[in-house]
Amino acid sequence: MNQPVLGLFKYVDSMVEAAVSMKDTGYTVTVFSPIPLGVELDPVVMRPNYIRYFALFGAFIGLIFGVVLALGTAALYVLPRGGLPIWPVTPTLLLAYESIILCGVIWTLIGFFIIARKPNFGKQIYDPKLSLDSFGLLVEDIREDKVEEVERLLEGFGADEVNRVEKS
Amino acid sequence: MDNISYNEINDDVVRTMTKTTWKYWALLIFCASMAGVLWFGAWAYQIYAGQGVTGLNTPTFWGIYLANFVFWIGISHSGTLLSAILFITATPWRRSIYRSAEAITFFSVLTAAVFIFVHMGRPWNFYWTMPYFTTRELWVNFTSPIMFDVFAISTYMTSSVIFLYFGSIPDLAAVRDKVTGWRKPVYTYLSLGWRGTDAEWHWLSKSYTFFAVFIIPLAVSVHSIVSWDFALSTVPGLNKTIFAPYFVVGAIFSGTAAIVTLMACYRKAMKVEKYITLMHFDKLCMLLLVMSLLWSYINVVEVFSGWYANTSAENETLMYRMFMKPHAYMYWLMILTNSILPLLFIFKSLRRSIFICIIVSIGINVGMWIERYLIVATSLPRKFLPNMWHDYIPSLIEISMTIGSIFFFVMLFLIFVKLWPSISIYEVKEDIGIPMRKGFKRH
Repeated sequence: MNQPVLGLFKYVDSMVEAAVSMKDTGYTVTVFSPIPLGVELDPVVMRPNYIRYFALFGAFIGLIFGVVLALGTAALYVLPRGGLPIWPVTPTLLLAYESIILCGVIWTLIGFFIIARKPNFGKQIYDPKLSLDSFGLLVEDIREDKVEEVERLLEGFGADEVNRVEKS
Repeated sequence: MDNISYNEINDDVVRTMTKTTWKYWALLIFCASMAGVLWFGAWAYQIYAGQGVTGLNTPTFWGIYLANFVFWIGISHSGTLLSAILFITATPWRRSIYRSAEAITFFSVLTAAVFIFVHMGRPWNFYWTMPYFTTRELWVNFTSPIMFDVFAISTYMTSSVIFLYFGSIPDLAAVRDKVTGWRKPVYTYLSLGWRGTDAEWHWLSKSYTFFAVFIIPLAVSVHSIVSWDFALSTVPGLNKTIFAPYFVVGAIFSGTAAIVTLMACYRKAMKVEKYITLMHFDKLCMLLLVMSLLWSYINVVEVFSGWYANTSAENETLMYRMFMKPHAYMYWLMILTNSILPLLFIFKSLRRSIFICIIVSIGINVGMWIERYLIVATSLPRKFLPNMWHDYIPSLIEISMTIGSIFFFVMLFLIFVKLWPSISIYEVKEDIGIPMRKGFKRH
């Protein structure tokens, strides 16, 4: 049986110590915080940056879209003007520039939605105090006979509150 | 901000959204009514009676509507661009003000965009600017700078909205956890199921950085492209290579001044002086001083390059703008408000005086509006052939819509404050620091 346990901490360093300890023991841990924790979480988890690939892909798609749109519309509806090319260079570059940014932004957003799995309105483990002033440590994959031990450990690391939680 | 607790920030921001005084409602209703009558009423009349109710003539096909469009696009450069630059450079004083500043961007781009519809005369034909398949095989002509504008502004508005919304997701979740009633489901959906896990923060931070990186060149390009609406023509007074940087600098100048004015009123009305402090005004006013010097330099370059060129058409435009009534009054008022008054900000005590900040920032925006008006209204009426000269005087309908647009903008901001966390909760918490056993740790 997997009984998740959520510990609420006042101090980040206490929580990080607890997280490292739990992780080393083999439990799955998730950290919650009301603010972004940067380097403080490095001992717990290091993540790659996949968003850049989405941004790059979006920019590339935007480049193609902008160029094809400018050249394509010029080719489909030809407006001959003396001394000027049918396929205009400056507007094509401008349109490509704007489309690179537009598609880059949109694909970055799509990337975030995919990687962070948002939106997610299903049942999730959460405590409203986590958006106020508490830092949470969710410990999962605990055997039934180990739950009390984990609770004691979390309290030992300085958790103000330790709860057995369910998705709600 | 040392004496503020994390809880207090949530309480204060949610209070700005949920506690509304009758004065606030009265101001909102007043602004909505004035926008309705002065702008949309006048616009309805113009649609009914035709463009003849404006002061537009031959050769002045562009009038106050285009000046308003450029002015509002300029104001929009306050928020998103400033926010993105300060984010990339990790400037801490950005945190309390950037959310409202980004909202200013969105609302001013929206106001500017409506002026395009107003200027079109037949707004229902707007879709003609969109590339789409028709049975007549007609396609839009991308060689026109107006078409550059359509794409640049659509991109800027889309990106600004995404930037504003994306940075607000954790705060919308914080609001979700505090509110009750009809607000609860609304913010539940808006926050997308945000929980504040380490993975969510990581991906949010990475994506936000990319947005900021995309937004900075975009904002610069948007106002450059707006300047090319004018500069790519051959009209004396408009055909200037310096127009792109002139417009970008002017935009940041007027946008920052708009932030100063609005933040001064907002902090007082919402009682959030502890978050938006005198230090913020100090920094913003320093930026205004720098932008004023840059703007003055470019303005001098513009005049002197025209003078040095010494062509009759260029000289005529300069004389018409600088020394002939009624434009001369406006021109020298603009120099007073944009080049001389901001010099007050050399003194620290004046940068920290809210009264002076409000007066100077309003003055700057009056001056910046005049600048845009003079660009349009003193060049087109003085084209090459004197027999074509025709002065432009805006009609009451045009003036009414100009004033109405200010009410429209204020109305949108007042609604925003009630519906959106207008101060970033999580970033102000970052300002306080990360709670450690030995005290707060600041990045």
